[in-house]
This record gives sequence, structure tokens and C-alpha cells, in this order.
Amino acid sequence: MEQLHKGVVAIARGVAVIGGIVLSVLILITGLSILGRAANTALNSDLVMGAAPGLAQGLIDLGIGAIPGAFELVEAGMAFCIFAFLPFCQVTAGHASVDVFTDPLPPRAKRALIFATEALFAFVLVLIAVQLSAALERTMRSGQTSFILQFPIWWSYAASFAAACAAAAAGVYMALLRAYEALTGHLIVGRGA
Amino acid sequence: MSTLEIGIWSFPALLALIFLRVPIGLAMFVVGFGGLYMVTGSPNMALARMKTEAYTTFSNYSLSIVPMFLLMGYFATLGGMSQALFRAAEGFLGHRKGGVAMAAIGSCAGFGAICGSSLATAATMSRVALPELRRYGYDGGFSTATLAAGGTLGILIPPSVVLVIYAILTEQNIAKLFVAAFVPGILAALGYMIAVAIYVRVNPGSAGVRPPVAQAERWQRLIAVWPVLLVFLLVVGGIYGGVFTPTEGAAVGALGTGLIAWANGGLTWKTALDSFADTARSSAMIFFIVLGAGFYNGFLALTRVPQELADWVVNLGMAPVLVLVAILALYLVFGCLMDSLSMILLTVPIFFPVISALDFGMSPEHVAIWFGILVLIVVEVGLITPPVGMNLFVINAMDRDTPITRTYRAVLYYVGSDLVRVAILVAFPAITLFLVPG
Repeated sequence: MEQLHKGVVAIARGVAVIGGIVLSVLILITGLSILGRAANTALNSDLVMGAAPGLAQGLIDLGIGAIPGAFELVEAGMAFCIFAFLPFCQVTAGHASVDVFTDPLPPRAKRALIFATEALFAFVLVLIAVQLSAALERTMRSGQTSFILQFPIWWSYAASFAAACAAAAAGVYMALLRAYEALTGHLIVGRGA
Repeated sequence: MSTLEIGIWSFPALLALIFLRVPIGLAMFVVGFGGLYMVTGSPNMALARMKTEAYTTFSNYSLSIVPMFLLMGYFATLGGMSQALFRAAEGFLGHRKGGVAMAAIGSCAGFGAICGSSLATAATMSRVALPELRRYGYDGGFSTATLAAGGTLGILIPPSVVLVIYAILTEQNIAKLFVAAFVPGILAALGYMIAVAIYVRVNPGSAGVRPPVAQAERWQRLIAVWPVLLVFLLVVGGIYGGVFTPTEGAAVGALGTGLIAWANGGLTWKTALDSFADTARSSAMIFFIVLGAGFYNGFLALTRVPQELADWVVNLGMAPVLVLVAILALYLVFGCLMDSLSMILLTVPIFFPVISALDFGMSPEHVAIWFGILVLIVVEVGLITPPVGMNLFVINAMDRDTPITRTYRAVLYYVGSDLVRVAILVAFPAITLFLVPG
């Protein structure tokens, strides 16, 4: 079981890292957009336009400026990132909870309680994935595109849905693992936290 | 049951779930879902909301600040800046009575300027400052308490993740909130230094002395922290000056601290991947709470509980300041149980309408900003309040020789300093608001 759990955590971490790389790309796009906007402002300034109007205009025509619709990319990408972050949080029991009141409980009761909670969590994560698939279908049918970049909205929904499925799988896996822990009394996840 | 009654009963239901160790985001989600079901008589509305709510929450442009600020904080811990900050602060303060502890506070404040989270600040600065404190003969409990308290500066001094969430919840301007947090943040650092000065006088022998550092060396050390200052000015100044949106500012901050870390050799493939995993874990936790809170608050608004509560409080005819003090006291109690973000998401939608309905003789915007800063401070006090404050455990765990009870005893000086500051900020709103335009 320990081996299995290690493997699952490694996979979930991999999914989270993919999300992290997408996050970094979004940060870079945002940074480039700001640089472009600053350069564009500088090129349009009286000083540069007076000194080298041809060069300035040429660069502006080349497309030096803010990246159009950068915020749309951030929004579309961020949805995927967060869904991709969820499985790792799930399998490492990273969600915030209050445990001062349940700490005095006998270990058996505590394990049963943790299992019940994890089962509820699994149910909610599956429900979220199912409802997201309905939303995905709708956006595919409507062919709705983003306002500025005109990319189909469903791309972002599809990526998010894939990650949401991973989150739902992580939720179900954790519920099963907690059931095993509750039944055998053998703890797999660190300190039962 | 009437709609209003369902709304009122949802509080004890929610608290019961939370106290049964159900993750806070999940508890709010479930109670919100069940409440919507009961109010509308069918699960359809709740299910329909679920179709869009998760996606729209996770793709919210303003909220995308959160993972960016978190990544910025993790990069900042890799950049070796904690070392430079501590050396600079120690150069100026180290030779005073209790000076190394004061330097730890000062460098926590400096680190808070590039890190938006309290635990990360406390943990990072502890790695640098704890060994130094011990080396100069500072008492163990005093050292750990100092860093636990210093960590709370991370969230008060902008950028701050919790303030971003408050701004979104109450529809306030993030830039103005950051500016408003600045002076209270500085006051907090000064107040903690005064607490150090009092502690070492009440407990003689709790701190050693060290020789002063030469003037030239001091300035050299101060100059070494320029990247921190640059990133802080770029991020907070840029957001405040309207050069870029808060999200863009957060991206600039992450790029800036990433560059510093890379230049100092702290950013490698391995540490980058670790930072991503840490960011992922914290972000997922935060966003799930935001999602649950959105669900619960949507239900609560439908039951009109917040408005009814606000009307009821106004009709009581109590002095507005008394109501405010009562609410802050409640935060102090609950802050001992929950992390600051969950607290804010759970309570602000209920208390904010109450505060908004009262007349403090200020513009609604000023009341919102003032209340936000006060709430931020009181929930942070919870992080260092014995016996359950989270910062205390994290820092105490880093120092094996010190029993937690010694940390408890020493941290009371800092809690006292916090309470005095809250009282001052309540009595003089101008301290928080004088930098905030309009």
C-alpha cells in the first residue's frame, strides 16, 4: 500500500507541476505584455518620435506593444492550473481544517470520521467534474469564442475538465485509502492528518 | 421552515461540520448546496450553479493574483534575500539590548514586502535568524516567539494574499488596501521591537550582547538588500500608481523574485519544481475555500440573513464602535481555531454588511478599508495566540530544545503589543486611512 500511495502522490505531483509550468508561462506572457506596452509608450513618446520617427513607427508596425488579450489567456490558463493543482492537494491532505475538537477522539472514531469526510469530498469532486462536462458540452455546441483573441472557449473547458477528472479520481482514491486505514488501523497518509 | 430560518440554522450546521474536522471549503460547499436545495425545494438550482461556478471561480482574473503571489513568495525564500535582510537589520540593531531579536523582527518586515504569507515568512526567517539568536545567547522560547510574531508581518505588509481575498469579497480596490496596510504594518514592526525591549528588561539574562558593526559595513549590508526594495517598489508602486493591474503586478513580482533567486543560484530545476508543487498545494486549498465560500454566500444572500442581521444590529442602537469592538473580539477567539483566510471568507460576508450599515462618520469606502485592515490584524493575532496559534507550532518545531510552553510565555509580550496596536487603530482611523486617496 505504501508503494501504491507513493506512486499516486508522484503522479498527482506531476499533474501539479504541469499546472505550475502553465502558471509560469502565463506569468511570462503577462510580463512580456507589460514590457511591450512600456516599449510602445516609449516609442510613441515625443522624444523617440522626434529623434527617429521612421524606426519608431517601424517597430510599432512590427507589433511592439501589449499582447492583445493577454488577460484572456491568463483566465483560460488559470482555470486549468487550479484544477490541475487539486489532485496534489487532495492526496497530500492539504486542505485546511480545524482539528482541535476531534483530536481527543479515540483513534478508531477519528479514522472513521476522516473516512466519512474524504468520501463526502470525493462525491463533491465527482459532481464538480460531471457538471463541468455538461458545461463543456454546452460551450462546444455554442461555438462561443473569447472576445479579443477569438479562440474557442471550449478549449479551456476541455483542459479544465481533464484536470477535474484527475481531481475526482484523486478524491475517490483518497476515500478508498481512508476506508482501508479505518478498517485495518494501518495508517498510510502521514500522521492521519 | 422559512427561508430566513434555514439561513439562520445554516450557521450552527456549518460550525458543527467544521468542528468535526471537515475541510472548511468542503463544509461551506456542502451547507451552501444543502441550503439552496432546501430553499428552492429541488437540487436543480444548486446543480445548475455548479456547472459554471467552479470554472468561473478558478478563471477569475483578480483571483489569479493568488497563485502568482504564492509563487513569488516561494521564489523569495530561494533567493538568499532572507540572509541579506537579516544581516542588514542586525548591522543597525544587533548591538542594542535585545538587538538581535529586533533585527529578526525588522528582517521579517523586510521579507514581508516580497512575500504575502505569514507562515512562509516565519519559516524562512527562522532558518536564518534562529541559529544567530542562539549564538548570541538569546533564550530559546524568546527566540521562537519572536519569529512566530515576526511572521505575522508577512501578511500585514503588502503584498498580502489575504487582503486580495478581502478586496474581492467586499469589492474594494486592491491598491488602496495595500497602501492602507503599509503604516499599520510599520507600526506592527515597531510595536514588536518595543515588546522586545520590554521583554529583555523584565527578563534579564534572556539575551546576550554583541559588539556594534562598523558604520561602513552597516551601509554595505543595507545596500545588499536593494533587490528586495526594487521588487517591492515595482510591485506595490506599480499597482498603486496604476501602471499595471494587481494581477500584472503579481506577475512582475514572481518574475522579479524568480530572477533574484536565479541570479543567486537558488533557482534550479529541482527547487523550481518544488516551488510549483508548494504553490499548487496552497493554491488548491485556497481556491477550494473560495469556491465553497462562493456557494455558501450565494445561498446566504438568498435567505437575506446578512441584511436582516445588519438591520437588527442597527436597530439595537448600540454605539458603532462598540459593535466593531465586539466583532473584533469574536475574530480574536475564532482566529485561534482557523487559518486567517478561512476566517475572512467565512465571516466577512456576514459582518461586512453589518459594519457597512453603521455610521462611523466616514465614507463607505474608508469604512471598508479600515475594517479590512483591522480584521486582518486580529485574525493574525490568532496565529500567535497560545495554545493553538499555528505559527507557534511551526516555529517551535524548528527548535528541538525549546518546549512549547516557553514559547507560549514569551509570545504574550507580542500578543500584548498586537492588542495595543488594534486599540490605537480603532481609536484613530486616520492612521490607516491618511495615505488612502479619496
